[in-house]
Formats: sequence, C-alpha cells, structure tokens
Amino acid sequence: MSQMQDEIKEPVSGDRKLMIRVNGLKKNFKDLEVLKKIDIDIYEKEVVVIIGPSGSGKSTFLRCLNGLETITGGTVTIDGMNVADPHTNMNKVRENIGMVFQHFNLFPHMTVLQNIMLAPVELKKMSKEEAREAGLKLLKRVGLESKADVYPPQLSGGQKQRVAIARSLAMNPDIMLFDEPTSALDPEMVGEVLQVMRQLAEDGMTMCVVTHEIGFAREVASRVIFLDAGYIVEDGTPDAVFNHPKEKRTIDFLNKVL
Amino acid sequence: MGSIIQVYWTLLLKSLGQTLLLTLFSLLFAFFIGLLFGLMNVSRNKVLNFLGTVYVDGIRGVPLIVLAYFVYFGIPALVQATGNTGFKLSALVAGIISLSMNAGAYMAEIFRAGIQSVDRGQMEAARSLGLPYGISMRRVVLPQAIRTMIPAIISQFIISLKDTSILSVIGFPELTKAGNIIVGNTFAALQVWGIIAIMYMVVIVTLSRLAKKLERRLNVSNAG
Repeated sequence: MSQMQDEIKEPVSGDRKLMIRVNGLKKNFKDLEVLKKIDIDIYEKEVVVIIGPSGSGKSTFLRCLNGLETITGGTVTIDGMNVADPHTNMNKVRENIGMVFQHFNLFPHMTVLQNIMLAPVELKKMSKEEAREAGLKLLKRVGLESKADVYPPQLSGGQKQRVAIARSLAMNPDIMLFDEPTSALDPEMVGEVLQVMRQLAEDGMTMCVVTHEIGFAREVASRVIFLDAGYIVEDGTPDAVFNHPKEKRTIDFLNKVL
Repeated sequence: MGSIIQVYWTLLLKSLGQTLLLTLFSLLFAFFIGLLFGLMNVSRNKVLNFLGTVYVDGIRGVPLIVLAYFVYFGIPALVQATGNTGFKLSALVAGIISLSMNAGAYMAEIFRAGIQSVDRGQMEAARSLGLPYGISMRRVVLPQAIRTMIPAIISQFIISLKDTSILSVIGFPELTKAGNIIVGNTFAALQVWGIIAIMYMVVIVTLSRLAKKLERRLNVSNAG
C-alpha cells in the first residue's frame, strides 16, 4: 500500500493513464463496516485481480466503482468524475465501465443480439443498423455469432457469460469490472469464459476482476490485490503476492486456497 | 323461466354488455393508476413512497359502495357548492371513476409485487450499461414483471366484474340493476336471480379458464 501512495501523481503518469483513483473509500451497510479505508490507483491496461476471503468486501468494492452501491465516505474518481458525488451523472460514468456479474443477468425476454443492442440504441449512440452490426461483431469475438437470435434461457452457463461480456462491451467501455464471473459456472465451462477474458486483457482492456481462479490471476493479472476485513492487505505483481506474500493474513489465505 | 328470458333477453344481454363495458374501461384506467402508484411504491423516493401508500391504503380502506356514493353524490355536491350549480356526474362516469380508483389500488399492489418479483440483478445490469432508471424499468423490468402479473390481472378483472353489481346502487344499468327491474315487473325472484347468477358465472368461469391457460403457457415459456 505504501508503494502505491508514492506513485500518486497527476492523471498521466509517465506513459500510463490513470483510470481509477480510489481515496479513503468507506462503505457501511447500516452498522456493518464492509470497506474501511481503501486507497488504490488503477492505470490504463492494468489487469487487477482482487482476491480475498468471502465477506472481505471484494464485490462491494467493485460495485462502489460504478456506483451500484452508494459510497459512505472517501472518493472514487473515474474519467475525472467523482462517483461518490451525488451530483455526478452516473449514467455517463457507467457508459465507460462495463460490468459482468456472477449470475450473468442477461435479459431473458430479449434475444442475445437484442441484449447487446439495447444500451447503444436506447442511449442513441448507434442506429439500429449500426448496433446490429457491432453486436454481431462482438458475438463473433466471443465465439457466439450463431446464437444471435436465441433467447438466453436456451444457452449454457458459459455461453450466457460470454454474451454478458459482449453486452457490456457494446458501449465501448474503457474499463471492465468482473464480479466472480466464473463462480456460478459448471467446471467445464470456466475455461471458455476465462479465455474470452484473457483475450480482452491481451487487447489492452483495463480490468478489475474479483475471482477465485488463482490460475487465471497468476497468468493474466498484472497486479493482484488481497483484500481482507475492509482493507487492502497486499498489493503487487502476481509473483510478489503469490510467491512472496509479506503479510501473515495473506499467507494464511493462500495456504487455504492454493 | 323461459318466458322471462323470452321477454327480457334484450335487456339482460344489453345490461351484461354494460357490465362488461364498465369492467373493461375501469380495468384499463386501473392498469395505469396501478402502474403509476406501483412505481411510486417501489421507488426509493420517500415522498413518492408515502403518496403511493396513502393512495393504496386509503382506497383499500373504503368499501366500494361508499366510494361510489362519494363519487356520485359527494363530488357533484362539492362542485355545485363552488358555484357550478348544474354539475352532475352520469352513473356511467361515476361508476367508471369509482371502480377504476378501487381496482387501481389493488393493481398498484399487483404491480409492486410484479416488479419486486423480477431479480434485482436485472435492474443492476441495465443500470451498469449506463441506462437511466426509467428506461431500465420500461425496457427491462416491466416487460418481465407484466408477464408474471397476467394471472393476477385477470383475477382482478374477475373481482372488478363482480364489483360492478355494487354500482347498481347509483342506478347504473348493469346486470344486477336489470335483475332488480325485472323482479319488480314479474315478482319471479327465484327465476330472475337464478338467470342473473348463471350469466355472471358463465362469463367468470370462461375468464378463469382463460387465466389458467395463459398461466400454463407462461410457465412453459419461462421454463425454457
């Protein structure tokens, strides 16, 4: 954490652009303090994997970034807009942040393609024709162009999650948040979703991923954060966090999951 | 019985038509009243919540017959007191207003339950795409909510259809009122009320069958 604070500079630090700045973030649910004080800067093209025991606040942290949870204290700055400020137009902020959920949350009354086209068309970013074309391209990217006119209930879990990723890419976001994207999947379907995410990381997307897939974290993450009891306990490269953890809590956790 | 039907069949059918017309119009208005107050009741805005609760509890706390008297006699009295002495509400208008308000309160509850039955993740997914609350509600949540609400809406239609009989008290020429008239002419209470009861029953049983069928269809397509 101390090494992070040394790095705090203006939005452009060297050749890397600052995408997300979190300062003293606090989140309470009534009397329960879930996030106590989170400070982190996330730069362009970073793939940040967040690990930690359940109840440590990983998902809450992610949901604070796009304002799905109202923030109790501190600031979250994205594209120069403060998410914690009630006057900020959250819809504008969210256009630039895609989010993928554990339970997919596809719209079951729309076809796969309609799911993807909804936001760009409703927000008048694209005409129906453009959105259709862009949607088909996105489906191709996740290997599901043949499923364009199918309704979500007819897809497997892995396919649903790939559609959900395509849908959240439809607004051309700069940042993608993944909230345990493979936790609800049958084991044989985890790979296809991770493959799409790996491809996205290679294409240079800035990503924050809450996951229990340590293998994915080792291989794809540029940075791993260990969150425990509302604080960032450890923050470093996958090698540093997994092979040379400094904190006892990190060591205990890794002993349990590895 | 045959002779009563022979003499009065036009009156009976015409008043059944009035009953259905009144129900249909009232339910149509009730749908939008219910949508409005249902949305208020699920909103995070405390003031809207409060107003929605006041409406739903207020209307549900008043018997329909009292509401009908209030609208039919009370409101014209109020308007007349303000100077417009010739003001009068027709029984049809007063009937539609009171039945719509009454059914609207129940529809608000049906909407609230329907909206709340849609997984919270649907709204979150829509919002996280940058869609505003209103569009998310209209395009994502409501279409799914209304599907689950269809059986409850038909059941409310049946309740309101039966409630139209109460509006005979303000002189609205619906089926029960026709029964009163025919009994007054013929003194054949047993036969007349038997015929009226059967007429209500046929319409309502048909509607419930339809509701069951729709429900099954919806369950099948949801299971996919």
